[in-house]
Formats: sequence, structure tokens, C-alpha cells
Amino acid sequence: MTATAVKQSRRRGRRRVFNTVNVSAVAIALITAAPIYWLLVNSITPTGEMGTLPPTFWPADPTLTHYEEAFGQHAFGRYLFNSLLVACLATTTVLGLSLFAGYALARMPVRGKGPIMVFLLMISVFPTIAVVTPLYMIERSLGLLNTHIGLILPYVAFNLPFAVWIMRNYLKDLPYELEESAQIDGASTTRTVWSVILPTVRPGLFAVGVFTFTACLTEFLMAMTFSSEDEMRTVPVGIALFGSEFEVPFGTIFAASVATVLPIAVLALVFRRAVVAGMTAGAVKG
Amino acid sequence: MTAHTQDPAPARATGTERVRTARSPRTGRAQRAATRTAWVYLTPTLVVVGAVTVFPVLFSLAMSFSHVNLSYSGFELEGPTLDNYVALFTSARWYSALAFTLFYTVVTVAVELALGTLVALVLERLTAGRGWLMALLLVPWAMITVVSAQLWAFMLNSSYGVVSWFFDLVGLEVVILGEPAPAVAAVMIADIWKTTPFVAIIVLAGLVTIPREQYEAASIDGAGAWHSFWRITLPQLTSTLAIAVLFRTLQSFGVFDLPFVMTGGGPGTATEPLALLGWRVMFQSLNLGAGAAVAVTTGGIVLVICLLALKLFRAQVGEVRR
Repeated sequence: MTATAVKQSRRRGRRRVFNTVNVSAVAIALITAAPIYWLLVNSITPTGEMGTLPPTFWPADPTLTHYEEAFGQHAFGRYLFNSLLVACLATTTVLGLSLFAGYALARMPVRGKGPIMVFLLMISVFPTIAVVTPLYMIERSLGLLNTHIGLILPYVAFNLPFAVWIMRNYLKDLPYELEESAQIDGASTTRTVWSVILPTVRPGLFAVGVFTFTACLTEFLMAMTFSSEDEMRTVPVGIALFGSEFEVPFGTIFAASVATVLPIAVLALVFRRAVVAGMTAGAVKG
Repeated sequence: MTAHTQDPAPARATGTERVRTARSPRTGRAQRAATRTAWVYLTPTLVVVGAVTVFPVLFSLAMSFSHVNLSYSGFELEGPTLDNYVALFTSARWYSALAFTLFYTVVTVAVELALGTLVALVLERLTAGRGWLMALLLVPWAMITVVSAQLWAFMLNSSYGVVSWFFDLVGLEVVILGEPAPAVAAVMIADIWKTTPFVAIIVLAGLVTIPREQYEAASIDGAGAWHSFWRITLPQLTSTLAIAVLFRTLQSFGVFDLPFVMTGGGPGTATEPLALLGWRVMFQSLNLGAGAAVAVTTGGIVLVICLLALKLFRAQVGEVRR
């Protein structure tokens, strides 16, 4: 479509190019935004108006009842707490481990770097379903089911490989003067990594952080399997299992969804550069 | 980062060069100490990843070749046996899940790649509001899959969904999530909506690395837009696209949450992927051996795709370079 459009535009001059591009851009924006709009609107539409046809595109009287239901009557506050706690602790751990592991792989004398990198890459794409049952049985015998640690551990393990890749790519390109001057001053390697390398790789850490945090907040399969008790559910599990076979209270679900997706979306927008850098680090450099 | 690499003035560069050569035949002891520190840094990562992924994969493999007896206090493996795999390869439901997963993967990845490239081309040429559009595109990416699944289920609901209402208006009578073919299409559309932005952003990153002059040179030579896309843009995007395809293929192949929430795998088993089948066999039928066989075959297919892709990818990149 674009190709023919661009060809036409070549014939009709420069102005037309901008029009075609702009029209497509508006179409892309609309298609992307429409479902998001519907989510927002239905989270503030009273239940009575929700199922009506033709649909209410803007509620006659917007209400926050659904939010009260989700966080007052139902346990979404608790779910959000579980999600945030697990995501924060897992992300912190991933950041620490990936900084040092990435450093070792990028700039220290280690044999077998290649195989280690390939091994990590393989792990990062392996389907969760292949490990979920054995992990369930291990956690069951260690008493880790329905605990926060029981989710943090697998989240760390599944997000580490990608994080190490990104950190290694960032660290690889740093000039060697950085460490050399620190070593001449007599600093240990760990001290050098902590006080000289760490500040210079902040963009990389940001990318890893936002990525891991988002992945932890959205993960579903392991969360549902390992934390089945109501008290220990994370937001995705709460949202998926909420309601019954006969009635799905969409208003409450959407209110809880908006309240959870909003912080992630804001985070992604604020750290837009870091997110995009993280997305493309694997693709363009790899 | 680029600033760093361009930064050092020639004089300083030679200075450091000298320092490095002076230290370069590192004393054996210093070298060994560095290696030891490196392993101290690596060990926690390798232990965690190994304990939580490698060990369970081997365990899955063992379970898939055994009868697993669950008891209150633990479990027992009895084997080896091929029963689980025999059951698998004679089960119509497994073939149906395999077919759905393959079809879903091929279609979503192909469509997301094509649409993602188009969106990236638009983003690249957009002069005003590019930042805003990029920001908007990040929202579906950041959205919890379970949330988008509930949202699409709501929009497509046959009695009160806005899409069904629209279909009614234009005279299309179809119970979208109640018939196999429309349900499959619906699940794929939900995925395409959520993931195309991700592909677009990756492709855009590849696009901006192509030097402008090449397009200018081509247009001086009289090449049309279509021609320069085909001859300049696409070949230089190959490696970016290959990685995007690989990541997306493997992700799609493990799809679980979207159909779990949106359709429950139905109607019937029309939208039941391998991961969902495996999970149900393990945690609902409590047939751990058979479930492990589903999981292992899924993981095996992923590995094969991965290796084939790496091989193909290398060959293609080589071709372009030549």
C-alpha cells in the first residue's frame, strides 16, 4: 500500500508524500488507541449502561464505582501489592546479577564465553510450559508454593539471560581507560565495577530494569500455577480468574486493569528511550 | 556510548596504547586472579539460571518417559516407558493443538512483520508527532496480555460486544467467539494488535541505520520507491528482520495466556495451543507424564526452529555480505 502510495506521491510532488504518511499515521494511531479508549471508558461506565446496544461511547454519568469494587470489595489491592513486591525484588536482583555477569563476559578473561552466551540465549527463548511442572513439584517439596520467593526465583532466572546479553553489549563498547585509571589508583575489580562502570552503564541498566519489571508484572503462567491461593495472586492471575462461568464482571476487571496498566504505561513512556534501546539492543547489535 | 568511542584524542589514545602494551603480557598470577573474579561474578547467574531452567528441563524429560504417581507426600517416577509419547502421537487433540499453534505462529508472525514494516516506514517518514505515535505504540506492548485478552473478549462478545454490534450493522451474522474459524481469527487479531508495535519499533531501529545517500543515489539513477524499497531497504533490513522473526516465532509458539483468557481454548479445542493443552493435561487431569511429553515436544520443536533459523540467518547474512 505504502509503496504504491509513495509512487503516486512521486508523481504528484512532495506535498502528497506528507499527506499519505500522515493519513497512515492517523490510521495507525486510531487502530492502536481504539481498544485502549474502550478499556478506559468501560472502567468508568456504570454496569447498567455497559451491555447496551447501540454501545455507549461515553457514559451519561461516569462513575468510579468499579474502582471502589475492585480495590474495596475485592482483593485487587492485595494482588497489586503482590505483583509490585515480586516485580521490584526480581528486577533488583536481575540488575545486580546481570551487571556483574555481563561485566565478566564483556571484559574479563573467561574461557567458554561463546558457549555461555549461546546457552543464555537458548534459555531466554525456551517456552515456560517446558519447565512449569517440574518447578511446581520442586517448589511443592520445598514449601515455596504460594510464597513471594516462589515467584521471584523463576522470574529472576527467566529474565537474567536477556539482561546479561544487553549488559554485555553495553559494557563491551566502553573504553578501557575507565578501568585502567581506577586500577592504577589501586581499586579492586569489584570496587571498579561498582563506582566507575556502574555510573556509565546507567542507560543499559535502565533498559534492563524497565524490561524485567514489565515482564514480571505481566507474567501469567507461572504466577497462576505457583500462587493459586487468593491471598498470593498477582494482578494478571486476579484479572484472569475473576468472575464466574456465568458472569464476568467486566467493569471491575477493567478498573483493576487500568489501575495496573497505567503505571506500566507511564513508566514505559517516561523511560521511552531506555525501552526502545532495550528492544533494539538485541536485534540491531546481535 | 558513541561519544565515548569518538572521544579520545589521538595523543591520548597512543598514551593508553602504551599503558596497555606495557601490561599486556599479564603476569600469570594476575591473569588467574582476574579469571577467578570473573567466575565469582558469573557463578550466581549460572547457578540461578541452571537451577530454575536446565534442571527442570531435564526433569521434564525424565517425567515424559515415566509413569508419574502423585501422592500427598511427594511423587514417584516409574519407568522408563514410551506410553506417554504413544498416547501423544495417537491423540487427535494433540494434532489439533499442534496445527493451531503452527498456524497461529505462521500467520501472526507474517502479518506482524508486514504490518510492522509498514508502520516503521510511516514512522520514519513522519515529520510531526513522531514521538507521540511512538509513545502510543508502547501502550499495547506494556499492556498485560491477560488484560488485552479480557478486553478483546468483551469487545467481541456476541450479545453486548461493540464489534459484534458493528458486524450486525453491516449485516454480518457471526458469533465471533462461538465458531471455530472466526474464533481463531479473533485470537490472532488480538495478538497482532498487541505485538505489531513491538516489531515496528525494532524494524525502525534497523531502518534508521541505512544511509540516506543510498536512496539519493538510487533516485538519481531513476529508481522508483518500490524499487528502492526492494533493492536497498529490504536487503539491509534482513538481519534485523531475521532476529525479529526468530524472537516472535518462539514467543508465539509458547502462547498460553491469550487463548486461556479470551476463549478458554474453545469453541471445542479450536484455539487450544500446545502450552494450554500441556498445562491442562498436567494440572487439570493430573497426568504429569503425558503433560511432560507435550511440554518436551513443544520445547523440542522450539529448539529445532531456533537452530534452523540460526543456520538460515547465517547463510542469508553471508549472501548479503558477498
